[in-house]
Amino acid sequence: MDTIYYLVLVPMIYLAFFVFSVGTIIRLINIWRKPKFPTTLQIYPEKKPSWLWTLFDTFLLNSARRHNPVLWFFLMVFHFCFLLLIIGHLELIKDFRILQIIEHEIFLGKGFIGLILSISLIFFLFRRFVSPTKDLSVPEDYYLLILLFLAVIFGSEMDWARTLYGYEEMGVEDYRGYLMSLFLLKPDISFVDAPGHSFMLVLHVFFANLFLMFFPFSKIIHSFLSLPLNKLRRG
Amino acid sequence: MEEKLREELIKLFESKLSKPMQMYLETCSRCGICTPACHAYASMPQAKYTPAYRAEVVRRIFKKYFKLQGKIAPALGAAKVLDENTLDELYEAAYSCTGCRRCMVYCPFGIDTQQIMSIAKLLLIGANAEPELLTMLADVSVSKGEGIEDMKESFMQGLKRLEDQVLEKWKMEAGEMEAGETPIPIDVEGADLLYVALAGAHSIIPAAAVFNAAGEKWTLSFFEAVNFGAFVGDPTKTKLILDRIVNEANRLKVKEVCICECGTAFRVMKQMSGSQPFEVSSITDVHAKYIREGKIKLDKSKLNLPVTYHDPCQIARNGGVIDAPRYVLQQLGADYRELSADPKYNWCCGGGGGLVAMGDETHDFRMKSAKVKADQVQQTEAKILATACENCHAQLSDISKHYNMDVEVKYLSSMVADALIQ
Repeated sequence: MDTIYYLVLVPMIYLAFFVFSVGTIIRLINIWRKPKFPTTLQIYPEKKPSWLWTLFDTFLLNSARRHNPVLWFFLMVFHFCFLLLIIGHLELIKDFRILQIIEHEIFLGKGFIGLILSISLIFFLFRRFVSPTKDLSVPEDYYLLILLFLAVIFGSEMDWARTLYGYEEMGVEDYRGYLMSLFLLKPDISFVDAPGHSFMLVLHVFFANLFLMFFPFSKIIHSFLSLPLNKLRRG
Repeated sequence: MEEKLREELIKLFESKLSKPMQMYLETCSRCGICTPACHAYASMPQAKYTPAYRAEVVRRIFKKYFKLQGKIAPALGAAKVLDENTLDELYEAAYSCTGCRRCMVYCPFGIDTQQIMSIAKLLLIGANAEPELLTMLADVSVSKGEGIEDMKESFMQGLKRLEDQVLEKWKMEAGEMEAGETPIPIDVEGADLLYVALAGAHSIIPAAAVFNAAGEKWTLSFFEAVNFGAFVGDPTKTKLILDRIVNEANRLKVKEVCICECGTAFRVMKQMSGSQPFEVSSITDVHAKYIREGKIKLDKSKLNLPVTYHDPCQIARNGGVIDAPRYVLQQLGADYRELSADPKYNWCCGGGGGLVAMGDETHDFRMKSAKVKADQVQQTEAKILATACENCHAQLSDISKHYNMDVEVKYLSSMVADALIQ
């Protein structure tokens, strides 16, 4: 069991980050090396300044809000919570003063962020079982949602354990010690191999690793391409 | 399908992979927000008529041959081998899409389904599986252009026969006629404006009357505006048909090229002619300019029935001509009713993308898929349905007949010509 723990918590993490970083960079370079389109692809009437409307479309999902408000609500909640989780994970590596502009505990939201994210993912998943979204969906769509749900639910459980029922065997300092050791290329899993909730961490990391490794080959690349595509539409 | 043909088709596919195209193919999250955007789906709710589904037919081939995921784990993205069955799917996707780009307004990423369908159309051409009629029309158009020198004389004789009808709408001053000016000038070097019409008197007579009324120094193009190359999705023929107009405009040293009421012709000329020493305008823009500048005066009492205006997708949503037709109708004194509160959401007529040109073959689909358009027009209770595109005019006339709509479909330019005050 220790070997499995070690494989997931150390080499698999390095592999996942390598595949994620290199794969994403190669994919983006491949796109950027393609020839330009010779003419405009914009939609009229145009609104100026187009860059501001592009930001509005990209980050506030303007068209989703107008055409499917329920989905838009869950999309906004999901993306916002996901951003908070990324910030939370960065803070698990080290304190960033800039992120403490508004003073907060590490992992904002007192455990509710994970819960909201899980509910959003269940909504996204269930709507894929109903036509016409069902008819458009491919296995990748279900696979990604299930993977994310599993990563979120096991990750959240660790947070819930800490915040909801006072589980203190593994706390922020333990996670920080483990992540810092990975970051300094001196991996040490002794911080997080205590009995109890460490299997939650292993499962969380395992599913998150799979997600990261799948990222460059999947539609999640929209996180990078949404902005330039919306700019094309705005002209 | 033979391996050699498949390889050739994959090369054709690759030739379409520009930066935006690659992004369109990589990005779709299949969220389905675009679903209600398509008039075909809104009229006939079947998954195959949703924009994302159509695009997915092409995207699955893309995954198979251009993505690592499609090579390692094709089942994940439902990647598809290019074969006869896939060609059938491509045909259905490409020729049930009118290229109106209404779905692009809905998509959170702004994915252009028309662009993706241009891949489908090119693959069908490569496999000789495209609609024969469209290729024939494109070929005829190309060969007419090549043999223009032999046809000039008969074309000019044909124009002579139209002159009286132009004069009926707008009588030229005696002095003008004596100075050698004709109601339909052609091949005039140094003219300010080159007018590119469609084949047919309806596209020439009203336009000529308005140009003459405005005192425009204009000349008629030898070539017809419609670009059948664009309908069939053949980039080579599209460029051939486009270039001969560009060359003519440059030879005559005109300052402006005015495209008649043809959406595809306008968009191709406006957006694909590159940097040229002339401006490209739609005839509606030109008419609006004449009215604003007081060059023509219109009788506001001619229109005594409620009017609505159908924005041709390639001219309005995709070409930016939105205010001009409304201004012209206002100047015609129309009791004007909007089809859609926001013109970018106007329903497509259902005849674009070559569907009208394909005639009876597509009639049933065109009528069924245009149900929402018919409803939209009827809700305005307008008795006159104006538009500025021949393709839309033909389709709207068919819809009007099919759904027994109590509405007369009219060209906006003809309405202007009919209201000219001498």
